[in-house]
Formats: sequence, C-alpha cells, structure tokens
Amino acid sequence: MQLNIIPSSGIPIYKQVYEQIERMIVNNHLSTGLLLPSVRQVALELEVNPMTISKAYGLLEERGFLMRQRGKGMLIAERDQQVSEQEKLTVLTNKIDKLVIEAQQMGIGVPVLTRLFTQQLQQKKMHQVAIKSSSKSDKE
Amino acid sequence: MTTIISIENLNKAYKKQPVLTDLNWQIEQGDVIGLLGKNGAGKSTLLKSLLNINEIDSGKVTVFSENHNDLSATTKAKIGYVPQENDEISWLSVDDLIKFRKQFYSHWNDEKVTNLISSWDIDTSKKIAELSPGQVQKILIILALAPEPELLIFDEPAAALDPSARREFLKEIVNLTAQENITIVFSTHIVSDLERVANKVAILDQGKICYFDELDNLKENVVQLTLSFDQQAQQELNVPFVLSQKNTPQGLSCVVSQLDTTWLELIKNKGVSVDIIPMGLEDIFLELTS
Repeated sequence: MQLNIIPSSGIPIYKQVYEQIERMIVNNHLSTGLLLPSVRQVALELEVNPMTISKAYGLLEERGFLMRQRGKGMLIAERDQQVSEQEKLTVLTNKIDKLVIEAQQMGIGVPVLTRLFTQQLQQKKMHQVAIKSSSKSDKE
Repeated sequence: MTTIISIENLNKAYKKQPVLTDLNWQIEQGDVIGLLGKNGAGKSTLLKSLLNINEIDSGKVTVFSENHNDLSATTKAKIGYVPQENDEISWLSVDDLIKFRKQFYSHWNDEKVTNLISSWDIDTSKKIAELSPGQVQKILIILALAPEPELLIFDEPAAALDPSARREFLKEIVNLTAQENITIVFSTHIVSDLERVANKVAILDQGKICYFDELDNLKENVVQLTLSFDQQAQQELNVPFVLSQKNTPQGLSCVVSQLDTTWLELIKNKGVSVDIIPMGLEDIFLELTS
C-alpha cells in the first residue's frame, strides 16, 4: 500500500490518508480480506503522528471499508456490490461538482461545458475501443 | 484525560514590559503540541515559566499536579527539557557529560543514547565547546530523551539542525508517540515540522494563548472562500466569521475562521457560486495573528 501525503497541504493528513485508501478500495486495488499495515508502521513510514493514522483507519472502519479483527489488525471489509457501485458514483459526482464550479468562475456556461464534455467523451470512447481490441488480441 | 500541565492567570513581565498576560492553558496527557508565535511573542518565556526556570510575577502553574516551584525529585525525573541555548558544561567531553547527567536519574536508556549518537554521527570524545551549534543541540536532545520522560518540552528543537538531522529528530518523536502515552510540547517557527507530528496547535499572541485546538480542526475550520456572483447579490453578502476579505473581478475572496453551512446554502440559493479552498498551517497562522 503506497501512500503519499503532503503535510503542508490545507487538507488534514488523516483525510489525505483516508481518501487514498478509500480510492484504492473503491478501485479494487486492495482486495477483500487483505491485512493493512499497523498504525505504528504507517506512522513511522510517513513520519507523522500515529493518532492521524488511527483516525483515518477509524473512519474507514466506521464507513464499512475496513473491519477490525482482534489480535490481527485492520482488514479490507467485504462490501455489497450495489453499495460499492454507489460509492464510485459519489466519488465521481464530487469531482464533477468541482469542475462545474471552476467553469463558472471562468465564466464558461452550461452549453459550452456540456459540449466540451461530450466531445472529450467521444474522443476517449474511440480511444478506448482501440485499447480494448488491442488488449483482446494480446490475451489471445 | 489526565491534566499534565495547568496554567492559571500567568503574568510575566520583562523590565516592566508585559510578555505574558493572564495566560490560561491546560495540557492533557498524550498531547503533542506545537507552540507557534511570532518572534518575541514569548514562547521561550512561557516554556521556561512552566518549569520555574523563569520566576513568574503572578499566577498558578502545576505540573503533574504539583506546584511548579516545588516539584518533587520524582516529578522532575519525569520531565525532559531541551533549552534553546546551551547551558551545559562546555569543558566536558560528550562522553563525560553523558556519564555526569546519567547519575541524576534512576532510569536511563543506554541503548537509545548509543543509537542516536551513531545515527547522528557525534564524536563523543570531543569537548562540548568544540562542537557546532547543531551538534550541541543533538546532544541536548539525546540527554532529554535518555531518561525516557513522560513530559518533553522542546524550545525550538530543530532550529540549529540541518534537514536530515531534523528528519531524524522528527522520526524519533514519532517513535516516542507511537510507543508511550507521552506528552510533548515544542515551540517552533518551522511550521512544516509541526504539521507532521503535532496533534494540537497553540498560538501565542499578545501575551495569551489565542488559539488552542486540534490541528485537523484548525485546517478544517479555517478556509478560504472564493465567491463569484453578479453585482446585485453583493449587498446581501455578510460573511460570518470572516478574518479577512478582498474584492476580486468575479466577486469576493475571504478567509473565515469557521464555515457557516446554513449561510453557505443561503447564498448558493441566491446564485452565488462558492469555492472552498483549504489553507496550509503557515497561511492560517498568519491570518490568525495579523
């Protein structure tokens, strides 16, 4: 588990750790049942106060991403398929919100933003079709 | 929660110039506190007053529930203090100084001393007077850590250390906080050190602790808001908890000490677009003390 923190950022360190682990779980980079390194290990590795790490772990546990197993530590919890779909959508919605605000501040209206979005999507789609077909042929 | 240090109405003046005025502060067990303040704010005076190194003019200070001018030997052994300026015997060699200091304590971690001396590359045969300020500071830190105290007070611990020694020092602090229920207070003007290891921040300004809270709360509460709107919305914007504000071509940019969510919803409904930008501790410190 590779975590990168920026202590001088305005975002509290526990939140940075929380968000990175959450993202790894949502994106299935950390699989169910995996044992996370101990609070002390992570704190020493990142050179931060251990309380910060236990706060992040606690929050992840509270929100069902982690499960505490006695004597062992924190494991990646099993999650409902439907819930995890919803989590992905929440992550994306937050990102879109940020984008919309930025566009507003630049004075870019809804029609332009929508056009830009569809345009980019179409480009990506074409690109992705190309990747898919090439990776398929790789497997075969 | 056990209170480790309690200060009530502390007053201290230098040459009739008040430095600390009616200062109140409570420090709980397990806190790792970064004490911030401008030059001359009185950080060193405050730390020295805690341990009665400075005599105070009035007020009450207790450390481990004992009056600070009448601490028992057992309580004194529980306290480690690293002063800003070196007052060790300069003609002793490092080795001799360590041996000398060790005699005063019933508990002394020799292994820790050996480890730190080797990782900090200190020549123990040298006399204190022959060492650079950075190396002297390392020795002072080692002497404070060796008896494994329950309360550590550092006055600008990292000021004379180079970046790699500072990292080593921070690692040692993290190590300590991971192991024991230790309480640490350190004054600093290197904000980035504080951001890594402190769980609480205290700001000393105009003779008082003007702010004392968890670092996470501070970062979550004090934020910059960028408000964009058209002319007519402007007169209705009365930003609550505002610390500073300035007009921008699109609207208003301001810093608040607390985010009022009801107000936020209200202005959003009026068509004001709001961007909340987190602030680093350095900027927050400047906002709170200006």
